[in-house]
Amino acid sequence: MPPRLNILSSALRGAISVRPAAAAARPLQSAAAVVLARRGLADSTTTTTASDHDAASASPQEEQNQIAISQLEMVAYGLNPFDRKVEGHKFGLPELPLPSNMHKNYRYDDIVAQVTRLLMKDGKLGQAQRDMAMILNYLRTSPVPKLNPSRPLVFGHPPAQDLPLDPVAYMRVAIDSVAPLVTIKGFKGLAGGGRSLDVPFPLDARKRRRTAVGWILDAVGKKKSKGSGRSMFPHRVAEEIVAVVEGRSTVWDKRAQVHKQGTAARANLNNFQIRDLIQ
Amino acid sequence: MSAPNSLRCLARPSTSNAVSASLSLSFSGLRIGAAAPFSTTSARDSSIAKKSVNREPAAPYRAGKKLKIGKFKKNKVVERGKAPLPGERKAYRKKIVLTNDNALPVKWVQEMGPNHLQDVNNVGKVVSLPDAVQDQLRISEAFQPSQSWKMFRKPSTLIREETVQMVSKMEKAVGNKKTARLVLAGDKLTGKSLLLLQAQAHAYLNGWIVIHVPDAQELTTACTEYAPIPDTNPVQYMQQNYVLKLLQSIKKANEKVLSKIFTVSSHPELPQNIPVNSPLLALINAAKEAEGAWSVFHALWQELTAQNANRPPILFTLDGLAHIMRISDYRSPAFELIHSHDLSFVRTFVEALQGKTNFPNGGAVIAATSRSNAPRAPSMELAISQRIAEQEKNPEVPKSDPYFKGYDERVESSLKTVEVLKVKGVSRPEARSVMEYWAASGLLRATVDEHQVTEKWVLSGGGVLGEMERAALLTMRI
Repeated sequence: MPPRLNILSSALRGAISVRPAAAAARPLQSAAAVVLARRGLADSTTTTTASDHDAASASPQEEQNQIAISQLEMVAYGLNPFDRKVEGHKFGLPELPLPSNMHKNYRYDDIVAQVTRLLMKDGKLGQAQRDMAMILNYLRTSPVPKLNPSRPLVFGHPPAQDLPLDPVAYMRVAIDSVAPLVTIKGFKGLAGGGRSLDVPFPLDARKRRRTAVGWILDAVGKKKSKGSGRSMFPHRVAEEIVAVVEGRSTVWDKRAQVHKQGTAARANLNNFQIRDLIQ
Repeated sequence: MSAPNSLRCLARPSTSNAVSASLSLSFSGLRIGAAAPFSTTSARDSSIAKKSVNREPAAPYRAGKKLKIGKFKKNKVVERGKAPLPGERKAYRKKIVLTNDNALPVKWVQEMGPNHLQDVNNVGKVVSLPDAVQDQLRISEAFQPSQSWKMFRKPSTLIREETVQMVSKMEKAVGNKKTARLVLAGDKLTGKSLLLLQAQAHAYLNGWIVIHVPDAQELTTACTEYAPIPDTNPVQYMQQNYVLKLLQSIKKANEKVLSKIFTVSSHPELPQNIPVNSPLLALINAAKEAEGAWSVFHALWQELTAQNANRPPILFTLDGLAHIMRISDYRSPAFELIHSHDLSFVRTFVEALQGKTNFPNGGAVIAATSRSNAPRAPSMELAISQRIAEQEKNPEVPKSDPYFKGYDERVESSLKTVEVLKVKGVSRPEARSVMEYWAASGLLRATVDEHQVTEKWVLSGGGVLGEMERAALLTMRI
């Protein structure tokens, strides 16, 4: 379950309520609730105060009058008594539109969330999240990458000296730069003589990243740890990310190979059966 | 086929009877195997050509499409390269990095001065450690790899309320030529070790002599050599290897101070003759190898505590108090477990903490408890809770459980008169100040406003600094 933590509410908890309308609305408790509070049940969270008793003793007519008076007072102060921001909310309303990362399932950057799940082993998401935090920290503390002009990074990437202090961008640049544009699918028997026909297909952004991370993790698997302890796997992944940005990684060759295959096989898109399949 | 042995020869067939064999061979003119006749042993003579054996493949594979079953799979041969040397991997893990060139330098952070940490007006300020002090703290192993020094441009610390309390207690004691005896206790990640570091930084800046035990577990988990000290009753044990290492770090970190103070007595028990009135540095230099290191330390300790001598204040600190408040893992010759307080170096610290040792010009003895790596020490826990109750003038002082046997009389008596400094989470203004420092360093990519500070403060369980770091710096949400 996600933590139900309204930070603003805890900040405001100690604050004095300056809204007379909200204060006036408090006596509107049902008689049953007041009785329960008076009985002092252990699980009751309502605290009995003197004002509660007074309110209970007041007649409903007086309550209505009180509310009306307070509303009139608000109009006198130039406030709208029926404004949703003012009335009826103990801790006020959040400012809209809500930030996109306020949802429990989308609280992290999209690439961070995706790569974390790709790092995960045996369903241990917490461990993968810790690994991801270590990867980002490694990137923050690693020196400015020396870019290799023969391995151009993704178009519009931030300058190299800005990358370490923005580790998420660092990782995004690395992954998007080596992400392949196409995948090669083999259609069995279409090439004649039982051979399969290789046809290039474009990938969507998420699948492209997934493929790139898969290649990076393959390269990481072949690396050797320098030290020991739980930070070794994330450090190797981070080293590989740095290697990708600096153009030293073998992942670049894999990407080039796939693109070459794709270029060679693009004529196969004209195969009539494939054409039927696409359209 | 002819018989291998001459049928006419009545000699008993045996391998040792080489004459008859060679004769029979020469007579027959045939070359038949090198093995002696009637022998079942195989030929040993390498000159005889071995029969070439044409082996058929063991398992007939199916032609065409191969069916691969698990056990026929080839084992992957992984190139592992050169294995790391012993200790290399650990050294990488324990490496201490104190700077991050990517982090932005924070201009408004002042350098720590000798009087900074005792001034109440400085509470909530972040100050950086001067370079000389950094080196000294590094030598005394005050920095720990788990602390996040590696993320910032320059090591800096927050002056918090507890810092000022602790340092003013130290200064007050020194003013009265007494010893402040403190135990830092508190929850996990509240910054107890960092307070120790601040105490040391203050001491170095003010010309004190600092002796720091970075991890008490090295003393009692039976990982360093020990030997009984002759003519002691009850028997005490010395740990010369550890003491030698400590002496060297004391020497390096306090070099300036130690070269200016001089011995007041001769120490005939030392291997080297140290005349009276020679600098203490020369005394420490007498410890060249583990053998004799303990006597040098003993002599140094006598010199430091010599009454009426001109000595600077002394700070003796130890991290991980629970490790020395229990029965150690060492065994006596009778194979009985040795109490930690019978290890003479530990005893030196405990007596100082107890108040039995008097420093001539005052000083401080500070021990920090640890919550991440600590054995259970019921007596210590009880004593600390009792001291806290006494300090708060709480009428209900916790009592020992009458049905529990694990209490230790020696531990209780050693902590009878210490003062306990409870380390809690930082206040919100302090949290705000430290977060502003993080943001100015470029590591916290957020506007530090009321909302942000409150969020991190609440998430960290009420300003527990380590948890605040986790929530703000060591997270996926950067």
